Amino acid sequence: MKRIKIKQDLCMACMNCTIACMAEHNEQGKGIFDLDLTDLKNESRNHISLDSQKKPAPIFCRHCDEPECVFTCMSGAMTKDSETGIVSYNEDKCSSCFMCVMSCPYGVLKTDELRNSVVIKCDVCDGREIPRCVENCPTGCLYVEEVGVCL
Amino acid sequence: MKMCNSADVVLQEFAAGKSQETSFNRVEKQKIKCGFGQLGVCCRLCSNGPCRITPQAPKGVCGATADVIVSRNFLRAVASGAACYLHIVETTARNLKSIGQNKGKIKSEKALNDLANTFGIEAKDLYDKAIAVADKVLADLYKPRFEKMELVEKMAYAPRYKKWKELNILPGGAKSEVFDAIVKTSTNLSSDPVDMLLHSLNLGISTGLYGLTLTNLLNDVMLGEPVIRQASVGFKVVDTNYINIMITGHQHSVFAHLQDRLIDDDVIEIAKSVGAKGFRLVGCTCVGQDLQLRGEHYQEVFSGHAGNNFTSESLLTTGGIDFIVSEFNCTLPGIEPIVEEFMVDMVCLDDVAKKTSAEHIPFSKDKEVEISQTIIEKAKDSYVKRRGNVTIDIPIHGHDDVITGVSEKSLKGFLGGTWAPLIDLIASGKIKGVAAIVGCSNLTAKGHDVFTVELTKELIKKDILVLSAGCSSGGLENVGLMSPKAASLAGDSLREVCESLGIPPVLNFGPCLAIGRLEIVATELAEALNIDIPQLPLILSAPQWLEEQALADGAFGLALGLPLHLAISPFIGGSEVVSNVLMNAMPDITGGQLIVNDDVISTADVLEKIIIERRKSLGLAVELVPVNA
Repeated sequence: MKRIKIKQDLCMACMNCTIACMAEHNEQGKGIFDLDLTDLKNESRNHISLDSQKKPAPIFCRHCDEPECVFTCMSGAMTKDSETGIVSYNEDKCSSCFMCVMSCPYGVLKTDELRNSVVIKCDVCDGREIPRCVENCPTGCLYVEEVGVCL
Repeated sequence: MKMCNSADVVLQEFAAGKSQETSFNRVEKQKIKCGFGQLGVCCRLCSNGPCRITPQAPKGVCGATADVIVSRNFLRAVASGAACYLHIVETTARNLKSIGQNKGKIKSEKALNDLANTFGIEAKDLYDKAIAVADKVLADLYKPRFEKMELVEKMAYAPRYKKWKELNILPGGAKSEVFDAIVKTSTNLSSDPVDMLLHSLNLGISTGLYGLTLTNLLNDVMLGEPVIRQASVGFKVVDTNYINIMITGHQHSVFAHLQDRLIDDDVIEIAKSVGAKGFRLVGCTCVGQDLQLRGEHYQEVFSGHAGNNFTSESLLTTGGIDFIVSEFNCTLPGIEPIVEEFMVDMVCLDDVAKKTSAEHIPFSKDKEVEISQTIIEKAKDSYVKRRGNVTIDIPIHGHDDVITGVSEKSLKGFLGGTWAPLIDLIASGKIKGVAAIVGCSNLTAKGHDVFTVELTKELIKKDILVLSAGCSSGGLENVGLMSPKAASLAGDSLREVCESLGIPPVLNFGPCLAIGRLEIVATELAEALNIDIPQLPLILSAPQWLEEQALADGAFGLALGLPLHLAISPFIGGSEVVSNVLMNAMPDITGGQLIVNDDVISTADVLEKIIIERRKSLGLAVELVPVNA
């Protein structure tokens, strides 16, 4: 599978990955100028936080080999694809227990801001050749690595 | 090295064959843009920042919303652009004043008399008149903000002046207005987006009437008025038998003495003493367009216009340039390593355009004899030092049949001293409307000159006559659209008009300063029809705007009430208020409208639709007259 990897030292906290993610998942259109930055509907699936040394740390979904979010999901909304290795979220099946949010070891999963009813989750841009966040990273901090699927 | 496309295929191939890095290469490495910057919602005004607006963080630390941040950034950019043009007109007026004081060369008494009449100056002596004209301009520029500039009413079209007065956007002293725009947009000052947008329009008026229009007219006095003529353009104009001085900038009057001096016998002898035939000025950037525009008066010294802003780096890699004199933008930082490699010495006459590798010789009219002599000696030394030590490779690039020298006066003269023939062609529908394609070239709207050239081709196909001023015209002439043969690319109706008059479908007004000349054309057309400017079937597009100056020009276009198209957003998309005011409310404010569209075909359709709507409201035929009718 393709995993988004991070060289933390290269992160400058420009948040281009964040805005790229919002644009890619915007129902109004994918262009940067389609993006309304005042609309809470536009949420990013990744974020930058500061680590204990106050250095920027990009937090991205790893589509884990041993996905806690899938293990703790009781409704079957979170699944790991055995061929692609991608961990997907099905909003229709979600019962909003948010065990996935609590169990994610990276703290990347979160509920949606507006309704607190669904989970905001990376879909690796749904088959896009290069994920939009990686494409828009100016420093090379984000990159894609092909890794074997371990089940 | 990867590089962007250029509409100028010969130039692109030439650049691709060279090892020197240019902007064409660097743009590929700068492809990833900051989304917050593009939307205009990054604020660096204080140490709590930089702040960026997101749905989760809708306000900066201070409480500034996206609307506040975007409008502050926008007004700052317009103010900087206005400052640049006001610097140019200030230099130009000071030079004219000095000519008056020192009884120097006045090349067009008519241009001086016209200005004196407009300003209401009655001095009899020519030199007194020149001083009085220059003083009027300078006095306005230096007024405080609370004193309105006096020449605005004399220069502006009356219905526009009335509108500006109603809107309370008549400018006080131009430099003071820029000053307070900077104050207004500083930390924790204005947070009123609408006030800041109106201030932008105010700056647009002083940019347009003073920075653009008056710079042209003052230069016409000192350097001669444009005369329509055929000229050569492109790299082919470089003749290696001469000592070639490339000029970059916007302040033609700074070269007034030098360009005359270069063809004096004793100076030609200096060139001959080192094996050259003489000295030549090679046009590049807007001041090259200025020389081309007035080329009738400089046939011997001016070899022709080589290209626009982003052509300058490649021009230097031909090895044919021996010396550079710069006085303003666009003097790209990118030329410096190339200049070093090709052993080209540089002199800068105005420290606002100082390059690290250039020697700064502050220009003053009183010392021009001495300065010209220094430049001549240095150019000769540079020539001697480099020739034989660098490779010279001048490609076959350009055209020999470009129509230049078009101005508000020369075009009217060509039409028989009246706009009636043009109005008749528009009224009958043979010319559907007029598009002013102006501004710069950038490398991001599809590539170097790509959007400009493609849009122009679409518009002329629709029988819309295109007038151009700025680096856009440098691109358009180098791809052949300003040669009479380009008529074959126009729609049947426009083609017939062009072929019968022997003109191209795209007319070259010269440098970006000449956007001021286009404004005079628009005003005179409106006057002849007894309508206001927003009613004209005329649109404005700066598809490949590059710099802050272009935004100040654009603010002038909006103040004039023109639809203004840009292919790239002026960093306002993050604010609903700013976008709404400029794109939706502006038609009810000034009659203008900002249109941001990055697709060539749909842009051409939108602009055509506006022209057709205006034709309808003027009661003009909307269906085109069949050819040969």
